[in-house]
Amino acid sequence: MPMMDCKEVLSNLSNYVDNDASAELRTAIEQHIGRCRRCRVVFDTTERALKMVIDVEPFEVPLAVSARLYTKLEKLLSGA
Amino acid sequence: MSGMTENHLTEDGPSQDDFLLVKRVLGGDRRAFESLVRRHERRVFRVTLAVLGNVEDAEEAMQDAFTKAFRHLDQFRNEARFSTWLTRITVNQAIEKRNARRQYVPLVEAEMAEGPVTPRRYEPWRSNPEELYGKQEILRMIEAAIQSLPEIYREAFVLRDVEGLKAEEAADVLGITVPALKSRLLRARLMMRESLAPSLEQPPTLGKKILHAAQDMGTAVAMRMMKAAGK
Repeated sequence: MPMMDCKEVLSNLSNYVDNDASAELRTAIEQHIGRCRRCRVVFDTTERALKMVIDVEPFEVPLAVSARLYTKLEKLLSGA
Repeated sequence: MSGMTENHLTEDGPSQDDFLLVKRVLGGDRRAFESLVRRHERRVFRVTLAVLGNVEDAEEAMQDAFTKAFRHLDQFRNEARFSTWLTRITVNQAIEKRNARRQYVPLVEAEMAEGPVTPRRYEPWRSNPEELYGKQEILRMIEAAIQSLPEIYREAFVLRDVEGLKAEEAADVLGITVPALKSRLLRARLMMRESLAPSLEQPPTLGKKILHAAQDMGTAVAMRMMKAAGK
């Protein structure tokens, strides 16, 4: 695979972090980020941002919102 | 680090529990639906909030989504996970509400998705955000970052990276092509990274700044020199 520039490498960031890249593409990306600090930082920090999002538990639904949901549900389930 | 959210557990456990609850409801135990709601309300609310961007509309869309799911539960087939099926209903309800509220499609925003991607921040992050911030703080930072995404990126990001839908499923739910979904997702991910960066970046020392600038400007020169030196 020919040498990739930063633009091409960045456009493949999602394929790379989602494991959707072919072995050949992965190698080309890794060769590029091995020598390009900027792309390396972007890849690493994007992966870490995604990991943070995946690892975190979702917010609780606000109490009042949740209470109204169950009131509505009560009516629905009692067949009203 | 806390446990992963339910949608990222692809093992049979949670979806099997959902399936059993669905069977109970369909068998006449309507109360079992409440357990399904309890298991999924936070995720459903996050999706409606992502699509609609305000709590009032998100609340209404969440109620509509659960009502619809209950009424159409017999159409659920165990081929997909219940969470995916419910997410699809939820997004449809939310988008319907959004379209009803809005007279026009924001073309400018839709076109933005196709432009080139240019990250702005190039500093590495500290090794452990957990050492800097508490769990609640991290959660707030993430929620704020998600809410700051423009709508079309926010919904792509939430469906794919927060709810864990496959690219094809997320594209299908949003009614866009897979390449369009991927293009929005890439932008969304880079925007998430940029909004989280100020809290997580390692402040560079002056020496490092100079080194980085030299590296950024001089990669080609450095490579030629290395080549000339036979390395």
